[in-house]
Amino acid sequence: MGGVVTRRIVGSIGAIFGATILAFVILRALPGNPARLIVGPLATPQALASVSHQIGLDKPIFTQYWLFISHFFQGDWGYSYADGKSVSALIGERLPATIELAVFSFAFTMFFAVICALLVTYRRRPIADRILRGVAYLGFGTPPFFIALLLLILFFRSFHILPGPEGRLGLQSTPPPTVTHMYTLDALIAGKFGTFWSAVEHLILPSIALGLSSFAFIVRLLRANLLEISREPFITVARGKGLRRWTAFRRHALPNAFLPTLTAGGLVLGEFLAGSVLIERVFNWPGIGSLVFDAIVKQDYAVVQTFILLSAVMFVLVNLIVDLLYAVIDPRVRIPSVATS
Amino acid sequence: MSEHALSVRNLSTVFEDGERTVHAVRDVSFDMRPTERLGVVGESGSGKSALALSILGLIEPPGKVTGGSISLGGREISKLSDRQLGAVRGKDIALVLQDPMSALDPVKTIGSQVIEAIAAHEPELRRSAARKRAAELLGEVDIPQADRRLDDYPHQYSGGMRQRVAIAMAIAHNPSVLIADEPTTALDVTTQSQVLALLDRLVEQHGTAVILITHNLGVVSDFCDSIAVMYAGRFVETSGVDHIFLSPTHPYSEALLKCVPNPERLTDGPLPAITGFPPDLSRLPSGCSFSPRCPVGREVAKCHEQAPQPLRVEGAAGPATVECHFAKERAGEVQGVSEVRP
Repeated sequence: MGGVVTRRIVGSIGAIFGATILAFVILRALPGNPARLIVGPLATPQALASVSHQIGLDKPIFTQYWLFISHFFQGDWGYSYADGKSVSALIGERLPATIELAVFSFAFTMFFAVICALLVTYRRRPIADRILRGVAYLGFGTPPFFIALLLLILFFRSFHILPGPEGRLGLQSTPPPTVTHMYTLDALIAGKFGTFWSAVEHLILPSIALGLSSFAFIVRLLRANLLEISREPFITVARGKGLRRWTAFRRHALPNAFLPTLTAGGLVLGEFLAGSVLIERVFNWPGIGSLVFDAIVKQDYAVVQTFILLSAVMFVLVNLIVDLLYAVIDPRVRIPSVATS
Repeated sequence: MSEHALSVRNLSTVFEDGERTVHAVRDVSFDMRPTERLGVVGESGSGKSALALSILGLIEPPGKVTGGSISLGGREISKLSDRQLGAVRGKDIALVLQDPMSALDPVKTIGSQVIEAIAAHEPELRRSAARKRAAELLGEVDIPQADRRLDDYPHQYSGGMRQRVAIAMAIAHNPSVLIADEPTTALDVTTQSQVLALLDRLVEQHGTAVILITHNLGVVSDFCDSIAVMYAGRFVETSGVDHIFLSPTHPYSEALLKCVPNPERLTDGPLPAITGFPPDLSRLPSGCSFSPRCPVGREVAKCHEQAPQPLRVEGAAGPATVECHFAKERAGEVQGVSEVRP
C-alpha cells in the first residue's frame, strides 16, 4: 500500500511541475507586453520600465519562473494586469460558483448514470436501453452550449418550470450569509429554504447542459462493464451459493464494474472544476470560465497563468484521490500477487 | 422416485436472440443415486454447461428452460421461484465452476466469500462463528494456515488453491448433489489430480452425488462410476464407465474415445479427430444430429430422416441407453473388440 501511495503522490507532483512550466512558457511565448497593457498606450518609457520592474518582467527568465511558482504556492497570485485587483480576490469570487456547479452536475451525472445503467443491465429493459443509446448519442454529438439553449427554450421559455439564465439565484433572492461560498449549503445553514430552493433550481439546467456528454460517456462505460462483469463466473458462483440475484449483483458485480467508472469520474470532475466558458456564458453563471475568457482577451497573464495552474492542481488532486480510492477498493493494486501456481 | 438424489425428466433449454433459437439442452432425462458420480462428456458447445445451469435454475436471459422437471431428493424444484430456489442452491445442490481464476470475486477477501456461502443459509450465525467455520472449511480442503489466509485476496492464491476454495464454498452446507463444471480443466496435471483426489475424499465423506462435467475422458475413468455422452444438447449414450471404455456403442462415443491419445496405440499418423464440426444448435440437422459426421450412418437415409429413440442395450460391460438406430447391432458387434474399423 505504502509503495502505491508514494508512487501516486510523486507522479502527481511531477504532473503539477509540468503544468507550472507549461503555464509559464505558453504565456510568455504569446505576443503582447503585459506591462504595456497596464500602463496604457500613452505612457512614457520610464513608466513602462517601472511597471516592468514592478511585475518582475525585467528579471532573468529562471528567476521569473521561480518567483512565479513560489508565489503561487504561497497563495500570492499577484494582481490583475487589467484592473489591478488581486487575482486571489478575483478567483475567490468566481471559483465557488464553478465548484458548486461542478459538484452538483457531477453528482447529477453519476447518480443518473448509475440508475440508468442498472435499469438496462440488472433490470434488462431493452426499450430503456434503446432510449438511453439515443440520449447518449445526443450527448456525445451535440455541443453543450446548444444543449443549454435547447434546455432554456424548453424548460424556461415554453414550460416556465425552471428559471432562465440569471446566474446562481433569482432576482428576488439575496445571497445567503457566506460560510462555505456554496449558495445551496449556505442557505441551508442559514435556514433560508426559499433561497436554497432557488439556488437548486438555478443549478438544474446548467448541470444538465454541462453533464450530458459526460453522462453519455459514463453510462455507456458502466453499462458495458456491468454487462461484462455480470457474465463473470464469480457471479454465477455467488448465485450458486444461494444469494438472490440483486444481492449477488450488488456485492459482486457493482464494485467490480465501478472501478473503470471511478477513473472516468475523476477525469469528468476534474474537467468540470476547470469551468466551462460556453455554459457559463449561456446561463450567466458567474464562474471561473467566463473570468478566464475575459482575461485571455485582455492578455491578463496573472489571471490566466494562475487559472491554468490552479485547474491543473485541482485536476491532479482529484485524480490522485481517485487513484488512492482505487487502491482501497481493488486489492490487486495494493497487494502484489504471490500466486505460485 | 425418492430414492434418487436427483431426477431430471425431459429438461430442455433454449437461448433466443431475436432470429435464432439455440437448443442448448434438448429433452434430457437422467436419474442419480445418492453418492453416484456421473461424468458428462462432450465437445465444447454440446450443452454441458447449459445443462448444469438449467438444473440450478441459473439460466439467464436470453436463455430459458422451456420444459422438464427436476426432482432433488424427491422434491420438485423446477417450478420454484427464484427466491425459493435460493434456499436450495448452495444448500442441497451446489456448484463448482471451471475456471478458478474467475470463480472468485477479485476484490473481496477469500474469507468474506467463504463466509458468504456459509451465511447464505445460516443467516443467524454470528460473524465470529462463521469465520471460524470458514477457517475449518478451508482446512478441510487442505489450505495451509487457513485461519491466517482468510484475509487474503484471490490473486494471492494459486490456481489450485482457488479451486479448493471454490470446493470449500460448495460443500459448506453438505449438499446432496454437487455439480462440478470442468473443475480441473484450467489446472496443470499435478494440481488437477490433487483437486480430484480432494473432491473424491470429500464426496466420499459426505455422501454427495456428483455431476462432473468435463471433456477429459481420463478424469471420468478415474473419478466417475457412470457416464453420459452429450452431443448437440442430448445424452446420446448413458451407461456405467466400463461400458463406454470397453464397448462404446454410439458411434459418437466411439469416435470420442479414439481421440484420446493412447500410448499403446501410438502410430506415426496424426491423432484421429472427429471429422466435421458440432452442429449449429440453432439449425439442427433432421434425424439423428450426429448423422452428418457419423462414420456409420452418414450414408444411411434413416439416420438423416428419423431421430433415434433411446434404446436399452446390453453391452459386454453392462447395460447402456443409446440413441442410435444401429445400437442393437453395434452393441453385439463391438463386444470385446478393442480395435474398430473407422
